[in-house]
Amino acid sequence: MTFSTREIQKRSISPIFWLLFGAGGMLSALFGPALILITGILAPTGTGLPENFLSYDAALAFARNPLGKLVLLALIALFFWHGAERVFLTLKDMKAGSSLVLKLGTYGVAALVSVATILLLLAIGF
Amino acid sequence: MNERRPYRRPMPGNWWAKPPYRAYTARELSGVAVAAYGGVLFAGLLSLSRGPESWAGFVDFLKSPASLLLHVLLLAAVIFHVITWFQTLPKTMPKMIVNGEAVPPKKITRIATIFAGAMSLALVFFVLGAAQ
Repeated sequence: MTFSTREIQKRSISPIFWLLFGAGGMLSALFGPALILITGILAPTGTGLPENFLSYDAALAFARNPLGKLVLLALIALFFWHGAERVFLTLKDMKAGSSLVLKLGTYGVAALVSVATILLLLAIGF
Repeated sequence: MNERRPYRRPMPGNWWAKPPYRAYTARELSGVAVAAYGGVLFAGLLSLSRGPESWAGFVDFLKSPASLLLHVLLLAAVIFHVITWFQTLPKTMPKMIVNGEAVPPKKITRIATIFAGAMSLALVFFVLGAAQ
C-alpha cells in the first residue's frame, strides 16, 4: 500500500492524543485507587504508615531517584492527558466552544503541565 | 429549488444530562478526577522543588479535612473510572479468540476488573510492607 504525499500530509495527529489518553486511562485504572488511598488518606492520617513517610527527605529521595522521576512523570503527565482527551471530546460534543479554544483549554493544559513536570524533575536534581 | 435541505432532528442543548447520554457524560467526566489527582501530585512536586517549608505546607494541606474529603471523593470517582474503563475495554480492543471461540465481552470485563483490583491491592500492601 502506498500513500501519496497529500495523503501523508492529511494524516491526523489525533492517534497520538488517543495513545496518551489510553495509557493514562489504563495506568489510573490499574493503580489509581491505590495511589489515592496511600498518598491522600493513609499517609496523611498516619494509618499503617510510619511518621517519616511524608517527610521532606523521603519525598526528595524519591524525586531524585531516576525511577522515582519516571514514575512521577508518567503519573502526572498521563493523568492530565487522559483527562484532557475526555474533557475535550465531551465539551466538543456539548458544542461548548470553538475547537481551538477547547484544545487550548485541554490539550494545552496537559502539554504545559507535562513540560513543567519535566523541568521540575530536572531542577530537583539527581 | 435545488438547494439541499436535509432534515435535522432537533436536539435539546442539555441532551448530555438526560438518559441514555447521562451515563456516557458521567463516564467521560471521571477523567476530570484522574486529572485532578495528577494535579495534586503536581502541586506536591512543585512544593518539593521549593524547599522544606513549602513541602511542609503541602503536607499540612494533605492532613486538612478538606483534602481528606477531596481524596475520598476522588477515590470514589476513580473506582467508577476503573469499572467503566473495563466495561469499555472489550469494545476498544481486538476480538480475543481462545480455542477458536470469541471470549464474551462480559468475561473480559470481569477478568480485567478483578486484575485491576488485585494490582491496586498489591500496591497498597507493597507500600505498607516496604514502609515498615
